[in-house]
Amino acid sequence: MATITLAPGAATRRRDDATSPLRHVDLVLLTLPFAISALGLLMIYSSSRTRLGDNGVSELYYVQRQGIAIVIGVIAMVVVMLVDYRRLRDLWALAYIAILPLLVGVLVVGASRKGAQAWFDIGPLQFQPSEIAKLSIIVAVAGYCHAHRGDLDAWRLATAVVMAALLIGLVLMQNDLGSAAVLLVCAGSVLVVAGIRPHHLAVLFLLGITAVGAVVVTGTLDDYQIDRLSGFIDQSPDGTASEQTQSEYNLEQSKNAIVAGGLDGEGLFNGTNTKLSYVPEQHTDFIFTVVGEEFGFIGGATVIGLFGLLAWRLWRIALLSSDFFGTLVVMGVLAMFAFQVFENIGMTMGIMPITGLPLPFMSYGGSAIIASFAAVGLALNVHMRRFT
Amino acid sequence: MSDNGRVRVSIVGVVIVALFCALFARLWFLQVGTDAEVRVEATTRTTRVVQSEMPRGRILDRNGVELVTNRTSWAITVDRGLPEEERMVVLGQLGELLGVTSEELAENFDDVQQSPLKPAVVAFDVAEPIRIAILEHIDCYPGTHVERLTVRQYPQLLANEAPLASHLLGYVGEISGDQLADRVDEGYVGGDTIGRSGVERAYEDDLRGEPRRETVEVDPTGSPVGSPVDVEPGHVGHDVYLTIDANWQRAAEESLAQGIEAARTIQNENVVEGYEELKAPAGSVVVLDARDGSVAAMASYPTYDPRVFVDGISQVEWDLLGLPELHNPLLNRASQGEYDPGSTFKLVSSVAMTRYGIRGAGDWFDDNGFVEIRGTDFQNAGRAALGSVDLTQAISKSSDTYFYTGGFEFWKIWKAGDTERGLGMQTVAREFGFGATTGIELDETDGRIPDPDQKRELSYAINEGDAAEENATWFPADQIYMAIGQSVLVSPLQLANAYAAFANGGTLFEPRLGLQVADVDGQVLSTLESKVISRLEFDPYVRAQMLSGFNGAVQDDSGTAFAPFAGFPLDTIPVAGKTGTAQVAGKGDTSLFVGWFPANNPQYVVAAVVEQGGRGAQVAAPIVRRVIEAMNNIAGTAPVEVLDEAKD
Repeated sequence: MATITLAPGAATRRRDDATSPLRHVDLVLLTLPFAISALGLLMIYSSSRTRLGDNGVSELYYVQRQGIAIVIGVIAMVVVMLVDYRRLRDLWALAYIAILPLLVGVLVVGASRKGAQAWFDIGPLQFQPSEIAKLSIIVAVAGYCHAHRGDLDAWRLATAVVMAALLIGLVLMQNDLGSAAVLLVCAGSVLVVAGIRPHHLAVLFLLGITAVGAVVVTGTLDDYQIDRLSGFIDQSPDGTASEQTQSEYNLEQSKNAIVAGGLDGEGLFNGTNTKLSYVPEQHTDFIFTVVGEEFGFIGGATVIGLFGLLAWRLWRIALLSSDFFGTLVVMGVLAMFAFQVFENIGMTMGIMPITGLPLPFMSYGGSAIIASFAAVGLALNVHMRRFT
Repeated sequence: MSDNGRVRVSIVGVVIVALFCALFARLWFLQVGTDAEVRVEATTRTTRVVQSEMPRGRILDRNGVELVTNRTSWAITVDRGLPEEERMVVLGQLGELLGVTSEELAENFDDVQQSPLKPAVVAFDVAEPIRIAILEHIDCYPGTHVERLTVRQYPQLLANEAPLASHLLGYVGEISGDQLADRVDEGYVGGDTIGRSGVERAYEDDLRGEPRRETVEVDPTGSPVGSPVDVEPGHVGHDVYLTIDANWQRAAEESLAQGIEAARTIQNENVVEGYEELKAPAGSVVVLDARDGSVAAMASYPTYDPRVFVDGISQVEWDLLGLPELHNPLLNRASQGEYDPGSTFKLVSSVAMTRYGIRGAGDWFDDNGFVEIRGTDFQNAGRAALGSVDLTQAISKSSDTYFYTGGFEFWKIWKAGDTERGLGMQTVAREFGFGATTGIELDETDGRIPDPDQKRELSYAINEGDAAEENATWFPADQIYMAIGQSVLVSPLQLANAYAAFANGGTLFEPRLGLQVADVDGQVLSTLESKVISRLEFDPYVRAQMLSGFNGAVQDDSGTAFAPFAGFPLDTIPVAGKTGTAQVAGKGDTSLFVGWFPANNPQYVVAAVVEQGGRGAQVAAPIVRRVIEAMNNIAGTAPVEVLDEAKD
């Protein structure tokens, strides 16, 4: 038998290298966003085709746009993967500063219109800086904490908190309560992992409670935000249609659709509530109700399971990371996904208040899709370079 | 990583596991834990029928040319329940999106012609990018919806962009409260579209599709639950084919408009001092098939654009249509207009005078240009003496004195107590269909035939006490003027139909517009047959004499309509007809002409009436000529040429 000896080329040499990042890509984590996005496309199609048709728009309009967003997201993920995250570690301040003009700019654009606007119009596309801000806050807080070797004394903690609070404040000014909560959770998780001291955490917690109280008392919240919160607290179905507020109605319809699914669902494209567009914003925030109605408990549990798998892979990477910065960043990403999944699915089932948060990889919305892929790219980046 | 770090990562992991467990638990509870039957019972109590209209059928001409079809219009609607403050914000944002002022949108919102039951339509024919913009940011447009409306479209347009045949086609609108009360058994619901006039109304039952009905279960809040328990799919409306020929209809409308516009450039011959043009504000043309009473064309001027009703006519538009300066464009003058027929009525007088023995068809009468009866001077047009005339020439040259004297004889017989003979002219008029509706599918007038009873009633209706009695008497002049078509009121359709009955040898048809009804696949469902109202008996000799009179009017150089038909190929397409010039109190003369062709083998009757249009030969006859030319494809015909002067 002849032995074929390959000429030692660059490619083979790298492949032979046991520490080459490309040999250590987490294939499970890499596969999950594609799987969930594909399911998302199907659900977007199922939930929006009737309504789009009724409005004289191509039934595939949202699917096509979401498809484009996924392609851009994959590109973003690959780009994020290829650049060693440890360079990002030294550039955390840049990641932080770069997002500030975007968040301020969207407020200026929003001010020119009546009501708030949380996006930039770029031709036919819209860009939501708050989605990118989620990544920025993770990288910035993780970078800052890493720069101080996790030794968070009161002053350093205060600096980190002020940094995070500035971003959160800017997002709050867009009236985007949900995204602000995500930023808070991301920053909080990174700080917890970075070694925040328990008594500092307690003080911050008290400060936070006071701030929330102040917001409620001074009436800074918009009516619809109060409406959403009260709708969550009082879910008794005895109100007549006219008394029902919009969010009570949304929640009612959302729960109805999921309940209608039962164990095995009504079948793809057969969801009555879905077909008749009873659930508002179903292709965006309430996409989970389509899964729940058309695929039932089996489908819903599968989606939750897929996200659980995603969380587990992220958690695993956080532990495997070769440096503390990697751990912090991936824990931030994990917190971001976990909170959004819990909040989003939880709100469709009435165990969380309604906020305008997308379900990662599934909800229609380009900025969120791109940010989610980029976030996974960041985690993959940490994983593949754990031996270098 | 330090042990402390591992512990912290693990803590976060535990929290996340807890969250996911909560999601699983809740999902299980909602979808599997709840008893399915209890769920259904808790949410389903009553059913409701959701009804949606299907597109109306098309209206086509006899050759299948589409006159009315449907098109989709994407509209933006705004809920009426939206608080005013919020509505103003929404309208402002929509205005920005659409590039119009929010005031404009607010005006549409407040339009009283719109249904109060449905969301208010604020914009029509909205382009796709705008629809997408609204869909994508529906949060910014609370209470706003994009709706697909099916609206009537008119593929056949006139030169001035107005749809062809708008009067006879009619228009559709939202069903009114009264109509709804009458038709609720037929499945109409508030907000439905219904034919409001013309063919749209006459053939409503055919044109309207069967609405789709879905029976859905609703929960206590009124929200539908589950799949519809019953679906009646309904069907689109049937197509209605008309007897109209679109090309001829176009010729009729354009010729009428041309003739009327040209009339406004010529001198009113009744104005002796100074120069004054004919006013000619309005008129109509009717083309009837003399063989079966079907309407081949029907024009009314001024016309209107039924498309203004498409987007729910605004109060302003409605008011405009009612302005006297615009001469009531909604009125279909062909069937609703009432005119003194003038000399065209001599058709009736001739038959009556011969039948009731007033004067034989071959008897000669000396026309001096005037006649004095009981101290009153009755004269021909222009006091022109026509010399010795028989019935033929009395018709072709339009002798008034011939018929004045006949009318006076009728009066004397009536006065002597022989009511039946004395009112013979009224009897013949009724036989020809005057004084009664023709039965066409459109709104129409029954006109008026004066007689002693009618005059008495009218006088008491207008006057009071002694004055009424004074004016209630049937004087000689009443019958004398009636003999030349004054004080009679006819619609152009009645006039054409009467001439059709004479031309075809005595069959009075019910004029009709409907030819057949077919379903969406073209399968003919019903063919609408022509209906005979009655048959008239003519003495053959009298009819022959009259025929040669009508022939002579057009073909003989002494005929009143010879000039307007100068140059017309009468040898190949012989035309017979009668001019009429009717005096109207306080207004200019009505110009009338009724003709038919071929004279020897009548196929089509063409009648034209122009209000304040001068003499019959000046304006109405040239219009008829132009229509006949178009119907016979006579090439190179110029626009209608009205005559500066004419004998009558």
